[in-house]
Parts: sequence; C-alpha cells; structure tokens
Amino acid sequence: MADLTAQLREQVQQAKSEQIPLQIIGANSKSHLGRSVIAMPINTAEHTGIISYSPTELVIRARSGTKISDLNLALAEHDQRLPFDPPQYQMQGTIGGTVATNQSGPARPWFGAVKDSLLGLGLINGYAQEMNFGGQVMKNVAGFDITRLQCGAMGALGLITEVSIKVLPMFKASLTLVFEIDQAAALEIMPAWSNQNLPITGICHWQGMQYVRLQGGQSGVDEAASGLLKQLPGALLDATLAKEFWRQVREQELLQPHGSQVLWRWTGAADASAEALPGAQLINWAGAERWVLAEDRPADNMALVQYQGGDRQAEVNPAMDTHNRALQIRLKHAFDPHGLFNVGRSYAWL
Amino acid sequence: MGQPTPNFVDLISALQAMLPVASLLVDDENQRPFECDGLAVYQQLPLVTVIPETLLQVQEILRLCCLHKVPLVPRGAGTGLCAGAMPHAHGVLLVMTKFDKILHINERTAEATVQPGVRNLALSEASEPYGLYYAPDPSSQIACTIGGNVAENSGGVHCLKYGLTVNNLLQVSMVTIEGELVTFGGDGLDAAGMDLLSLVAGSEGLLGVVVEIKVKLLPRAPRVQVLMAAYSNVTAAGDAVAALIGQGIIPAGLEMMDHLAIKAAEDFVKVGYPIDAQALLICELDGTDAEVEEQLQTVSQCFTDYGAYQIRVAKDDQEAAALWQGRKAAFPAVGRISPDYYCMDGTIPRGQVAHVLTRISELSQHYGLAVANVFHAGDGNLHPLILFDASIDGQLAQAEALGGDILTLCVDVGGTITGEHGVGLEKMPQMPYQFSDAELAQFRRLKAAFDPYELLNPGKGIPTLKYCQEYRSLHNG
Ligand SMILES: Cc1cc2nc3c(=O)[nH]c(=O)nc-3n(C[C@H](O)[C@H](O)[C@H](O)COP(=O)(O)OP(=O)(O)OC[C@H]3O[C@@H](n4cnc5c(N)ncnc54)[C@H](O)[C@@H]3O)c2cc1C
Repeated sequence: MADLTAQLREQVQQAKSEQIPLQIIGANSKSHLGRSVIAMPINTAEHTGIISYSPTELVIRARSGTKISDLNLALAEHDQRLPFDPPQYQMQGTIGGTVATNQSGPARPWFGAVKDSLLGLGLINGYAQEMNFGGQVMKNVAGFDITRLQCGAMGALGLITEVSIKVLPMFKASLTLVFEIDQAAALEIMPAWSNQNLPITGICHWQGMQYVRLQGGQSGVDEAASGLLKQLPGALLDATLAKEFWRQVREQELLQPHGSQVLWRWTGAADASAEALPGAQLINWAGAERWVLAEDRPADNMALVQYQGGDRQAEVNPAMDTHNRALQIRLKHAFDPHGLFNVGRSYAWL
Repeated sequence: MGQPTPNFVDLISALQAMLPVASLLVDDENQRPFECDGLAVYQQLPLVTVIPETLLQVQEILRLCCLHKVPLVPRGAGTGLCAGAMPHAHGVLLVMTKFDKILHINERTAEATVQPGVRNLALSEASEPYGLYYAPDPSSQIACTIGGNVAENSGGVHCLKYGLTVNNLLQVSMVTIEGELVTFGGDGLDAAGMDLLSLVAGSEGLLGVVVEIKVKLLPRAPRVQVLMAAYSNVTAAGDAVAALIGQGIIPAGLEMMDHLAIKAAEDFVKVGYPIDAQALLICELDGTDAEVEEQLQTVSQCFTDYGAYQIRVAKDDQEAAALWQGRKAAFPAVGRISPDYYCMDGTIPRGQVAHVLTRISELSQHYGLAVANVFHAGDGNLHPLILFDASIDGQLAQAEALGGDILTLCVDVGGTITGEHGVGLEKMPQMPYQFSDAELAQFRRLKAAFDPYELLNPGKGIPTLKYCQEYRSLHNG
C-alpha cells in the first residue's frame, strides 16, 4: 500500500530528459500479450492500494498496481463485484494492466468490457505530467473521453496511475446448464438465447458441450433455467464444477499453447458460421469470441490476434487500415511525443 | 453574418458546382432556422448552410473546407443544449438530417446500422416488430438524431441500467477533416489498439463528421413496472435514492422532481402527481415477472423506510405512461410558467444529492431566481432549471452566473460540469475549473491529431490556451 505517483513521475521525467524508452510493467502477468519489446522497465507493482471505496456510490478507486484479486476481496466484503470480471492471472494481474490490455471475462456481452465500467483515471503522459480524466460519477461528458481511450492502448499513451471503476452488486443466485450439442448447432442457438430477456452471464461451447451460466435473483434464474431446459434437453451442472469451468474460461486456461503452438483469438460477429474459423475451438461470448490452437495462422481472411506463443517480434494484432493507423500514430504523438511508452508493444509501428 | 473571406468565395463556388440548389442555403432568411440549437440564448448565422444527401458530398464538403481553411460545424436535429451546433460566423454549417435511413436491423444479433440523421425514437419504433429497442433514450428522443447522440454521448432515463450512448455503440464511421472515411469498432465486441470508438462518443463534432453508426439493441422486457413515491422533503427522497442503489437495486430508471417541477408538470399534463409533495421519485423496474415482483417489494419497502408518504404503483401501461409523461414533459412544463428557463446538467455523487439541492436553493435565493429541479437521480445527474426573463435587463447574465455557481458546486463535491449535454460553447467558462492546464493542453493536442487546422466546430468543447490564460489571471489575480 504505497502511493508512488511522485516517484513514477520522476522516473518518466528522467526517461524523457535522457530519451530512454520505457516499458510499463505491473506484476508482469501479461508479458505474453502483445509484441515483445525491450526497454527500461518502469514498475507499478508497488504502487498499490485502494484509494477510496464507497459501496453505496458503487465506486472504487485504486492505484494501478493493485491486484484484481485484492479488489475482488475488498468488494466481496460488501457483496459487490467488478462488472467485467477480468482474469486474475494467478492472482497477479493488476488493474492498470487489465485496463491497458482491455481484459474482460465471460460476461462481456451482457455486462460490458472494462471501458463500460471505467469512470476515470490518472495518467502520466510523455511530458511527465500528471493528469486526471473522468471521475467518480456515473455520467461525465466534459472533455474528450481520454479514460476509455486507454482501454486496449497497451500503455502507448502513458502510465496509468489510478483508476475509478463502477461496481455492481454480487449476484444472489447462480447456476450453469450444460447441453450436449455440436459446434454448429451451438452457434445457431447462441445469438437467439443471448438476445432474449434472460439473466445470462455466459454462453460457451467447449468439447461438444454448450455451457450456459445464469446469474441474478433466485426466482429469475430458476424461471430462466426451466425455460431453457424446455427448449433443449440439458442438465444442471454441479455448482463446484461450474465455478471451476467458468474460472478456467475467464483465466484463459482451457487452451494453452505448447512448443511451437500459437493461441489464436478471434472476435467478430456472433452469428459468423462455425466454418469461419477451422479446427476445434473454444467459443465464448455467445459466439462473439473464439479461440483456437494451431501452429500456423488458421484462417487467412479473418482478423485474428496471435494471442499467445509464436513469433512475438512479428505483428501479433490484426492489420489496421491506413486511416486508422495514421490516427493511432498521431494520437500516440499527442500523448507521448518522445516515444517513451511501450513503443512497438501493440504494433511495430506504434 | 461575418465577412466572407477570399477563401470563402472560392469555397462557395466549389460548393455550388457540386451540390443541388436545394442543398445549399446562402441567404439569411433560409438559414435563420439553423442559427441556434436548443440553447437559444446563443445565436449566430453561418456564412453558408449545406444539407448534403450523399456520403460523397459530405466527403467533398469536408475536403473543400480543409482546402480553403474554412470552419465547419456539424448539426443533427439541433436539440442540443450547450450551443454545440451553433453555427460559426465565418463557416459552413453541415446539416445531416437527410441521412435518415435505417440501413439494417439484424434481428438475430440484435444490432442496427443507421445513418446519423435517424431520429432516436424512429430506431426504437423500427425495432419494435422484432421485440427490440434502442436503450439510450434522451427526453428529446422524438426529435434528436443518433448522430447527435453519438456526438454528445447522450443519456436518457434508462441509462442507469443500460448505459449511455457510448455503452451501446458497436461501430462508427466518420469523415475526417481531410475528407477520408474511417471506421472505428467493428463486427466484434473488441478491436485491437486504442479505443477510438469510445473517443468519438461525446466528441461534440470536434473530431469528424459521423456518417454511419452500428448500435446494440436490447430485447423488450416482458414486464415493465413503474411506481411513484412522494416525499415531504427533498433530503428524504435523495437519501432514499442513495439507499436503494446502495442495496444493490439498479432500476431501469430512477428520476426525481422537486416541488416546483412537480407543480409545473401537473399543471401542464395533469397526470395526478401530488402537488403538495416536495419531491417525487419515479422508478421503473423491468425484467421477467418473477424478477420484477421480487424487486418491487424491495423498492417499495425502501421508499417507505425513507419516509415516502404516498406510493403509487402503476396498475397498467396507461398509468405507467402517465407517470412518465409528467417527467418527460417537465422541461416544456417549466417553459410554461416562466418566460425563459436555463437547463443545467451537472453530475454529482449520489450521496451528495440532498446537500447539493440545499445549496442550490440557497443560491436561488441569493440570486433571486427560482430553480426547478428535474433529474436522473439514479445517476446523480442534475438538471436544475433556472427560471428567468430575458426581456428584463441583466436577468440572463444573472441566470448564467447562478448556473455557473451550480456547476462549480458540482465539481467541488466530486462531480462534473456536464453529465450528458456536453460542453459546447456554453460550459467553456467552467472547463478550466474542472481541468488543469496540463489536462486542457492534452485535450487540445488530441484534437489536433484529428483536426490540425482547427476547423471542426472551433471555439467549442475545449478552451484555447489564450482562453485558459485569461481565465487563470482573472481567477487567481
Ligand atoms: C427538451 C429536451 C430534452 C433533452 N433531454 C435530454 C436527455 O434526456 N439526455 C440527453 O443526453 N440530452 C438531452 N437533450 C439534449 C439533446 O437532445 C441531445 O444532446 C441530443 O443528442 C442532440 O442531438 P441532435 O441531433 O439534436 O444534435 P445537435 O444539437 O444538432 O448537435 C449536437 C452536437 O453534435 C454535433 N453533431 C451532430 N451531428 C453530428 C454528426 N453527424 N457528426 C459529428 N457531430 C455531430 C454538433 O456539432 C453538436 O456539437 C435534450 C434536449 C431537449 C431540447
């Protein structure tokens, strides 16, 4: 529990005057994401602690090095949770890294991504200036949304010092149904179920089974479960097994690359056909996120992320069109004119 | 009307060459309807108004403005409340209302692709046959456009549970000042790189012209239940709101009105509001029967615990609509009891509602101007309506001063100067209060990344360096 903002700012100031590029590191739990870059580490791991937490306002503010697992613990004491339920990466993942890499869990289609719960943040830019954007209130449209711009920026715009997040009450009831159907059949069903008024917080297909998680008030969950079981024969999954399954999905543990294997991730239209991405896969987010292990790029025409493994010097994110690319470069320059932060981490050209 | 510059003469002839006669307005009389947005105290005629019909025309107009270095202001329906769409004296006003087509509704994935001039309500109406609707519903939804909603990141009474415009966007295509078409977001839920999709939301026409939007639609809830609770003091109502949310109940909507607003609304639409009440809460719950029943118990209990002296649970859709009608008509209702009113839009932490309302009533007495309060209580988003008479010398200035004090009060208690209406021209004076010079400079550099020549809606949203310096010397010296 320490506020190292001044020290971090000092480090950025020094890097700026000596023109030394930096790589921002939290707990280093996500080093496998993005391209590998070598630069002087600037570490937020000790910059931790919950700055304020007001359960009745549904808002928590924490320093960027605070671990997701610690946030979850603090919230659980008041029966609250992070709506985007991000991976914890062996209890190491930090909130700063979660925002920068835009990590959300299985409930993403229904409860939103990090950006949907992010209310504000503190940032040190490439001028070594400390700035605050957004805030602690639910609605705020003063100035550009520099807060949400950080989601997925992979630290290219600056060092996030603290974040404010909107939290939600814990679900009162939770259950998981399993249905034995193949991939193609699952993809037929997923969008239909996903867009009904059901308390769904997860739809996955994995190894011949479709998993559907229902969470909310007890009566709503029970009502939904019996309704779905009438539509398609299935079974209730044991609560412990269900918890473990969704943990593995969230932690991205079901598919792990070995040797020269690569873990590929695709996000796209939930109704894209099963053939879109060949091979045995994990289908998550009701069809909108798909994961597959393969040595070579499994589909040429798809915007795939080379998520983990393989050559990390090459581009790992889908190619970007020239206009988007130009804007991202100009934005990078607007925040980090000397090219200090995580240069080349998301794209070789950024 | 300002003086046409030589650049401008070239621009006009280029516009005349490419646009049909009906798409180009040059005389004052025809341009008069466009001289202001919903905040009519700010008015300005542009040099020329263009109302294009095709994407290529939009691209060409921007290219020409860029070439001739002429300012351009985009406009939707002009319902904005911060003078964001007020024309530029030396510029082009680009009206996007001809882009009014719903291009596609994907029933299976519950998504819609629309042109920016589509009216907010028209989208929900078109989605109705599929059992779907578009959640962000500003009270101006009959008239305001989705393009305007994106530019302001608009909210509505249902944003408490379903989010603002930004939370319901999937993809936006925008024309840059260079005339290039660029698309942010995509078919999927996440795109690699910085989140430019979210950045465009709320960018007030300062970064580009939005030409196509894909949004998420939601399934209509099988049951919607509206209830109203009356209180004999605002503090109790404010506390009830904080307590309810604190208990983990997130209603679909939770609105509050104070005595003056209640009376004005009731006189106007006669829906049976208790006119002796000092505060009214209007709460909407949605979900399945079982869910709504469960919540209704908790909510009624909470309202009673905090001293509601009357609770009315709508028995049918008609009664529900009536309860909402009073709230939705609150602005025009206040318009009936005062020659002019000025709508503010600060957001505060919910726990501060009672404190801030008390402070507002003190300020109201100090300035001698009445204030009616209507607001999105669940989000802590206040809409104090300052009543004044512009025909009385000095009253507008008084109203603006009172408004400014309310906004700085919002910042002081940890909130913001605007929750959903945007900064526009109107809230420029408060920007340096909420943001430091470094932060404002960062905003300017961000804008320059999109608009290096400062042609897009200049003078709005983000104060210039000079403006900030003047502000600081005035307030620190
Ligand atoms: C009675 C009343 C009630 C209201 N209630 C609410 C409410 O509940 N919630 C709320 O959030 N707002 C509310 N508003 C404010 C207003 O309706 C919203 O801000 C709305 O989104 C504006 O849409 P518009 O089409 O009228 O945009 P305009 O007023 O025409 O423009 C608004 C801004 O968007 C820019 N713009 C417009 N179109 C484009 C485009 N295609 N590309 C780029 N920039 C563009 C303009 O330059 C301007 O800065 C209310 C207004 C009124 C009059």
